[in-house]
Amino acid sequence: MVKTVKALGIRSPNAGILAGNVLRSLEMPGEEVRFIVSPGAEAGMDAVARKYGYSMELNRLEKDLEIRMIPSGKTMEEIDVTGETCPGPVIIVGERLSGLAIGERLKVKSASLDTLADLTAAVTASGSRIVGEETEGDRHVITVEKCEKKETPVGTLSAANRDRVLVVQSNGTGNAERAYATFIFSKVAVSMGKKVTIFLLMDGVSIARKGSAAGVKHPAFAPLDQLMDEMMKAGVTMYACELSATFRGITENDLAPGVKLAGAATYIQLLSDPTYAVVNF
Amino acid sequence: MTYEMIGKELIELLGLKGSPVAVKLVSTPSDVPAGYEKMTKKERHCQFVQDTRLKGVTGYATRGEHLCKGGAAVMGIEPSPDLVADGTTYQKLGNFKTIEGAVETVHAIPKVDKPYYASVYAPLEKAEFEPDVVVFIVTPRQALRLSQAYLHTSGGRISSDYSGIQSLCADAVVAVRERGVPNMTLGCNGSRKYSGIAEDEVILGFPPKELGAMVEALKAFKQKWG
Repeated sequence: MVKTVKALGIRSPNAGILAGNVLRSLEMPGEEVRFIVSPGAEAGMDAVARKYGYSMELNRLEKDLEIRMIPSGKTMEEIDVTGETCPGPVIIVGERLSGLAIGERLKVKSASLDTLADLTAAVTASGSRIVGEETEGDRHVITVEKCEKKETPVGTLSAANRDRVLVVQSNGTGNAERAYATFIFSKVAVSMGKKVTIFLLMDGVSIARKGSAAGVKHPAFAPLDQLMDEMMKAGVTMYACELSATFRGITENDLAPGVKLAGAATYIQLLSDPTYAVVNF
Repeated sequence: MTYEMIGKELIELLGLKGSPVAVKLVSTPSDVPAGYEKMTKKERHCQFVQDTRLKGVTGYATRGEHLCKGGAAVMGIEPSPDLVADGTTYQKLGNFKTIEGAVETVHAIPKVDKPYYASVYAPLEKAEFEPDVVVFIVTPRQALRLSQAYLHTSGGRISSDYSGIQSLCADAVVAVRERGVPNMTLGCNGSRKYSGIAEDEVILGFPPKELGAMVEALKAFKQKWG
């Protein structure tokens, strides 16, 4: 765990006195601590760190300073994703990051620079940041720090802050590749910290029919119904177009658990919301 | 040692006027301690603290009961009004010569980083909840003894920081709660004016976990110093 302590506007040496008192009063002795302080607080902090058995790292933020007090000898969690193919690395790292506290770090290794580039895009899109890049033998290494995700209010007109994904599926069980892509891309988006909504329309509603996803299989992937169930449990919202369902004789009672019927207005509203990125399958 | 015992001992050993005040921020209505009622009057946080200290009032205050919007905002009970957040209010009140100075100060004021439903108050000796912070309003001599008591076990120094605005809320509650270490503050214009903090009184906030050892230290001081 990493404890974050904001102590802005306090200069040295008082900032050092405060930091020392924080370190010796920790609920969990030896916990890593991030101090967010103002410029002018850093002098003498390294001595405070040493006194209490920590090493110190100084990072400049936009306006303030981050002083990380890391317990001496503490090793960072590491993961090697060499050999994993897309979207495996993004999902694996996303899941590991979800278990970390804000401020905690994860070292990710791969033999492929392209994999790390993809991971870097996913990590930064999820609100976290890359704080280090290096090479260890034949492995490229990035250090990821989990950051607080900034919530984007619904309807915010900022394309840069799109943190929701709408996956539109209109092909259904008749096109296994597109059906799989619907849930695999959703899984990647979830692992990147995105809120995902799947909208099934036209032939896509066939996926919503109870039991039909179980019939879609590919040797390289888990059966489609398992992926669908996994996404439901991960909090993905899944709608089936009411009109398309009615056209195909699908009623509410025929729907797989968790799938909701939705009208055209819901679809148009989702499409009109600038916080959603839209993916079509 | 229970908070009832600690509270009574602190009153006795320090000769406090009134009680130390247990304060807690709660996230939802269901987190309000059982039996605690909503405050009947709309007041400022510093007034709730004083009423608890001097009249033994217990209860909780939501956004609807908090009159000081700046105080409620730093405790996460409501969003900060724009004019407070951008420093305009404090510059207009005359605290700062420049808007830049006001912005610098407002940026540095301790604030919680998530929303809370209410602040809960009780005299420490009657608190039926685990406080986040215990607030003392005391004379400088009593503040001296509390500071000495805090340092009695491990030594060191105390660092206090304040800016003369948002004192009993940001300095005495939020700073202490978020950092886990004590802080001393001198009040603000609002708390001096509305909550009746006397000319010869200062304010300290302590993490509750320190209080047991501090009581023992105060007993040792009493034996040694009378």
